[in-house]
Amino acid sequence: MIPPLTPFWQRWLEKRIPPASRVTLDHRRIFILPTRTGMTFAAVMVLMLLVAINYQNSLAYGLTFMLMSVGVLTILHTYRNISGLILSAGVARSVFVGEPVQLRLRLESSGPSHHALGLGWEAVNVQPGDVTPRGLTEIELTLPAERRGWLRAPRLRVESVFPLGIFRAWSWLDLEQTALIYPRPLFGTMPLLKGVQPHAEDSGQVTQGTGVDDYHGLRGYQPGDNRGRLHWKAYSRGQGLLVKDFVDLSGHDLCLDFMALGGDIEERLSRLCYWVLELSQRRQPFALSLPGFVSAVGSGDAHRETCLRALALYGDRP
Amino acid sequence: MKARTTKPAVTKLQAELSQPVPRDSLTWLLLAQALVVLPFTLHVPVSIMALWLGCTVWRVQVFRMRARLPGTWVKSGLLVGTAGGVYLARGSLVGLDAGAALLVAAFVLKMLEVSTRRDARVLIFLGFFCVVVGYLFEDTLLWALFSLLPIGALLAALIGLQQSALASRPVATLKLAFKLMAQAVPLMLLLFVFFPRLDPLWSLPQPSNKGLTGLSDNMAPGDMAELSRSPALVFRASFEGAVPARNQLYWRGLTLEQFDGRRWSQSSRAQSVQVPQWQKRGEPLTYSIVMEASGRPWLPSLDVGETSLPEVRQMSDFRLQRRRPVEQSLLYGVTSWPQSVRDAQPTEQIQRQDMQLPAKGNEQARQWADDLRRRYARPDALVEAMLGYFTQQPFHYTLKPTPSGNDSIDDFLFVSRRGFCAHYAGAMTFVLRAAGIPARVVAGYQGGEISSDGQYLTVRQFDAHAWVEYWQPGVGWRSVDPTAAVAPQRIEQGLEQALAADEDFLQDAPFSALRYRHVPWINAMRLSWDDLNYGWQRWVLGYQGQQQLQVLSRWFSGFEAPVFVAGIIVSLGLVALWLFKPWRRESDPQLRLFNAFERLLARHGLRRMPGEGAVAFGRRAALFFPRQAGAIEAFVEEFQAQRYAGRSGSSSQLRGRLSALRRQMPWRLSAARGSHS
Repeated sequence: MIPPLTPFWQRWLEKRIPPASRVTLDHRRIFILPTRTGMTFAAVMVLMLLVAINYQNSLAYGLTFMLMSVGVLTILHTYRNISGLILSAGVARSVFVGEPVQLRLRLESSGPSHHALGLGWEAVNVQPGDVTPRGLTEIELTLPAERRGWLRAPRLRVESVFPLGIFRAWSWLDLEQTALIYPRPLFGTMPLLKGVQPHAEDSGQVTQGTGVDDYHGLRGYQPGDNRGRLHWKAYSRGQGLLVKDFVDLSGHDLCLDFMALGGDIEERLSRLCYWVLELSQRRQPFALSLPGFVSAVGSGDAHRETCLRALALYGDRP
Repeated sequence: MKARTTKPAVTKLQAELSQPVPRDSLTWLLLAQALVVLPFTLHVPVSIMALWLGCTVWRVQVFRMRARLPGTWVKSGLLVGTAGGVYLARGSLVGLDAGAALLVAAFVLKMLEVSTRRDARVLIFLGFFCVVVGYLFEDTLLWALFSLLPIGALLAALIGLQQSALASRPVATLKLAFKLMAQAVPLMLLLFVFFPRLDPLWSLPQPSNKGLTGLSDNMAPGDMAELSRSPALVFRASFEGAVPARNQLYWRGLTLEQFDGRRWSQSSRAQSVQVPQWQKRGEPLTYSIVMEASGRPWLPSLDVGETSLPEVRQMSDFRLQRRRPVEQSLLYGVTSWPQSVRDAQPTEQIQRQDMQLPAKGNEQARQWADDLRRRYARPDALVEAMLGYFTQQPFHYTLKPTPSGNDSIDDFLFVSRRGFCAHYAGAMTFVLRAAGIPARVVAGYQGGEISSDGQYLTVRQFDAHAWVEYWQPGVGWRSVDPTAAVAPQRIEQGLEQALAADEDFLQDAPFSALRYRHVPWINAMRLSWDDLNYGWQRWVLGYQGQQQLQVLSRWFSGFEAPVFVAGIIVSLGLVALWLFKPWRRESDPQLRLFNAFERLLARHGLRRMPGEGAVAFGRRAALFFPRQAGAIEAFVEEFQAQRYAGRSGSSSQLRGRLSALRRQMPWRLSAARGSHS
């Protein structure tokens, strides 16, 4: 596409196919044009017509006209194959920056079957799919999560060149698909809030300071243990699978503090994210403090979600 | 977030086209290729067929992981080798024969290269082109029907390239392919009828018909016997009005004016353009002829024929000759004046060419000629005398004459007395010339078989015939057939009846249905098949130039363009209706009825709000139309009950309530209420 035209094209598209979470493909939303194979097909038709004219052969005329008619009717077939398809967006699970977002799509048929559909974010790498008559197909598309915060999926391309591959019918849909992207977890020291830290005197050594962590010792591996904590060196020495065990700090309510960290905002959020995950996994209650957001001390999935959400949306004006 | 801009098209194309060919599609390709190549068996060198078998086996082995696709060197080697083979077999790499062979070879070799979808599409398009080129060699009805199979298979292969579950079901794929073809038929017919037939844009090598039997421009007696063994079709003629009697049907091909003692051949002057002199006399005969490819330029006609076909002229010996040989079946109309006077004035051609005789030989015949000349002063009387001689002497009509020596005419006239038309015509012309009467041999066809409905006449190679014409001053040319004197059955009934019991008719063609004309049902079948083929020839193959203009002006005079456009729209509309089935769109009968209910109220000025439920809308409508409140409530209640309370009411009940409401609504729309909505 020619770059200067792109915004115009986008605006036009926005007006023609407004965003909606459930879309039925109809004549307003479907575009159809010949493919490059279609151009070749047309060129072959011209050649065949030349043979027919120069040899004045009725059968050659007949076959040429037959294939031309088939070509024209393919417009209808290709259009029909995609029209009436109902697309709706499923719920997208939140992921961390750097992971692929899985976006679910539901394809429903309102009547006839839809063959050889291709779905994707751009014209390349389309994912194939079929929908049976009055059937339902679920398709998962991935999108790389590059920035934290709300990820709004770009316009989705639905296309099909069925049946002959000489015409392509397609549409660009905005299904209002969104996913929350959490910051990328980054290992670092636990950024505990100074002063307000409960029982700070008991475990003062776990505040900031180099070389200090809450590493406790090794214990035998049990299924379900975090693989990141496997002690590979010990394994290579033939001591079996051991897991680095960490100090159980239960009983101490921790407060993770944004201000206790250095570095730029993204890095601080990443570290906080790591500790939110870590502490949640240890089932240890903690609080999170961000500028403009302080959570209560808590644990459990809901608490973890709240904290991650706060991290993801930090600085994002709703 | 904005949609991303699309990546350059090349990336997309590469991604799409470099996908490997699915297995099912490959099977389709192999099948389609076999079907495309099969009819070429007779028209391309045997080596190409061997190449096809080899490539197919190779590709199947690749498919079964038993072999690898050939590398560049092997491929170029095969290409060069194939071109060499074609050159050896055809003697050239240009021309239609060699071109077709190369095309088929490319089509066959491409199979070894198919690994991606793009290759497969190239192969399929090549296949379509091969089918078209095949039509240049074979254009019979049967082959046209057969060719639907390769076309269907090629379309199926194209569908098989789709990434769909359907593409892996062969029956469904084939069904879709044939459905596409069937839906295309109306459009195709429209295009076929209305597309203007242009003259050839440039001249292309024509299919060579060297192998065809037929009249040639020179005749030794044996050639005619050769022709009489062939049941091949020469032409069909349909007359406007009654078909003339059999003994009037002398179809002139060409005249043979040069005799070298053994062979009669066309004189070199016959090629020169010289307008013949003739006066139209009597009633004309009008007929049209559909001629098979003959590879020769002359067109059979009754004496004296005129045609409006372009590039055809009447030559000095009254034959019709086309500028180019007839390489494909040809339709032309002729008007003939059988009683015309031809060449009443002597010309140099007549004085010299038609008196030509070898310097010596056949002395006995020359002597007889002198004798006849002395006895009969008038040429007509002399001819009568000769015919009398043929009748009285024990002449015998046979396709197996005894071999003759150097003086072939003497041998025939005075010794063996066995022969067929070529012998009689040759001998008679010789004697006439020796007697000082200009004469020549006319080669052509005589008679023909009248179709079961009497509409047309079929002339086959075994109807080939030779007769004589002689010239007198003031009278011009006159035809005479010595064979008629010897074997009148040949003229009145046909070759089969003229042959003696010991000679088998068409003995080289034991399966020809013509041999079984006495079996009624075989004959009936043969004749209907002939009818069908004639229709095919006349209305399909012959639908060119003049014929198209005639048909169009007869059926749609002046309205060609509107009829064409309307036809296109109607046939596209019909297919669209068939495909989209709009009447089935709302398949839920309750919803459909509710929509009708909404439309009814909307016409009277009440529209349903977005998001307004059926009950709320019904209540509002009841307030809006207090007189019809009962009917509205009844309908809504029934709708609710059927839709949500699971009451298993029939839709006819709901429909009944709707029509009750419709009856109650005032017939006229109230304009005033439009403002309320």
